[in-house]
Amino acid sequence: MKAPLDRSRRLGRVHATMSVPAQIVVDQVSHLYRPPRGREVLALDQVSLDVANREFVALLGPSGCGKSTLLYLIGGFLPVETGAILVDGKPVAAPGPDRGIVFQHFALFPWKTVRGNILYGLERQGMPKDEREQRALDFIELVGLNGFEDSYPSQLSGGMKQRTAIARTLAFDPKILLMDEPFGALDAQTRGLMQAELLRIWQRTPKTVIFVTHDVQEAVYLADRVAVMSARPGRIKTIVDTKFDKNDPAIFKAKAFVEKVDEIWNLVKDEAIKAQGKRT
Amino acid sequence: MPPDGWPEKAARFTYIVVTRFFSIAVLLAAWEILARSGTFTPFQLPALSNVLLRIWQDAVTGDLAINTALTLYRALVSFAICAVGGVAIGMAMSRNRLAHWFFDPIISVGFPMPKIAFLPVIILWLGVYDVSKISIIVIDAIFPVIAATVIAIQGIERELLWSARNMGAREREMLWQIVLPAALPQIMTGLQVALPLTLIVAVVAEMLMGGYGLGGAMMTASRFANSTGVFAGIVEIAVIGYCLVKAMALLRRRLLIWHQEANEPTTA
Repeated sequence: MKAPLDRSRRLGRVHATMSVPAQIVVDQVSHLYRPPRGREVLALDQVSLDVANREFVALLGPSGCGKSTLLYLIGGFLPVETGAILVDGKPVAAPGPDRGIVFQHFALFPWKTVRGNILYGLERQGMPKDEREQRALDFIELVGLNGFEDSYPSQLSGGMKQRTAIARTLAFDPKILLMDEPFGALDAQTRGLMQAELLRIWQRTPKTVIFVTHDVQEAVYLADRVAVMSARPGRIKTIVDTKFDKNDPAIFKAKAFVEKVDEIWNLVKDEAIKAQGKRT
Repeated sequence: MPPDGWPEKAARFTYIVVTRFFSIAVLLAAWEILARSGTFTPFQLPALSNVLLRIWQDAVTGDLAINTALTLYRALVSFAICAVGGVAIGMAMSRNRLAHWFFDPIISVGFPMPKIAFLPVIILWLGVYDVSKISIIVIDAIFPVIAATVIAIQGIERELLWSARNMGAREREMLWQIVLPAALPQIMTGLQVALPLTLIVAVVAEMLMGGYGLGGAMMTASRFANSTGVFAGIVEIAVIGYCLVKAMALLRRRLLIWHQEANEPTTA
């Protein structure tokens, strides 16, 4: 237990006002992406980040800045080769149900119904049949998919698919929710509704959330803190506090909110331009 | 008195059959007219009506049932072996480097080869009975199944596998619970290619080896200069092939009820 505490203290420069030991500690993590063909790319360069229990942190940056890679490393889907990632003091070695992930393109099992998708994780956790049936129904209701229990993903709209994916992940009760641009594939109206809904769910079942996005307003609206990442190689440029009263219906028009979005947008814009320049 | 709605249903059924098989009907009508016009001798082109009469006679004597059953037995046993073996080899290739290293060159060289050319060797080693016939059919029809399985498994999104691992699926569970169902649509496509191949190769092998079966019966008819018998064989094989392909398409719709294509009109 001692080493991680030391580490989180050493990382105080990243997050100065750390009163409780961080639940997730990312320490000096670099990641080399090796495509099957072509040159190796340094996707992440010495990234450090602490996330406290029940905190909502957004990773914001231009495409190709390695924000999804960082999420996959925390999830244990990619091996940590340089640096260390600790969750509750233990190094991440493999995917686990303590860290639930939601993908941009849903990754639902197309051969299973909404109910079947949600039940799968509960079966794997060894939950008794009656209990998991009830739990599946509860989470279908939580995301408002009543009446679609027995629909297949191919019969659902994009928003409904993502609701199913969120319900599926929440149902096995992870402590940490990893969200990889979850609303990126949805149309603007659906995205707005889903953001509000995510906040509602998060307030009901408080979890630690790491939320990857390239939408500045979404990041400021949802997150307690926004980590702005730089273009390739991915680094955390700054971390901005973005605590607002989420339940304020006029939040998008509030002066402080608009200024915050503006401030972060200016930080991201430079990186986006740099990323564009590098690509062409 | 037929029950209510019966004439409408019958009319609708007739309409579907007529529109769907119009081109076939035209072809058959042309056959009959051409044969009766005297352009060809009955030996060159027997009339369709005579061919159908011959099929009827074969059906009455029981020859048709025996030959059809034998050919179908050879084709379907081979198909079952291709399905199980092809999917197993394909899965092994995608999950095991050694298996991939071993089988990949064999597939690359073997797929485009005319496998029926091995028939003399197969006869030499395995004789002229069912074992050799089924072997040559399997050798011919297993390739599309293996190729489809390998491509299907390669094409599974990593996010799907990650999701399952995230929920606590173990490696052994992944194979049956995630990899196989995710690959099923493309595996089914491979099986739909393999099934008519098994019938084709079964008939060809029977023609070359003789004995009972639809292909054997056609060769016998040919040796006795019985062209009506030869044409009867062709018609029988066409009908059986159509039924097999149709049954497979139905099975696909049943198995892939969850798939996008289940909501779309059929093309098969």
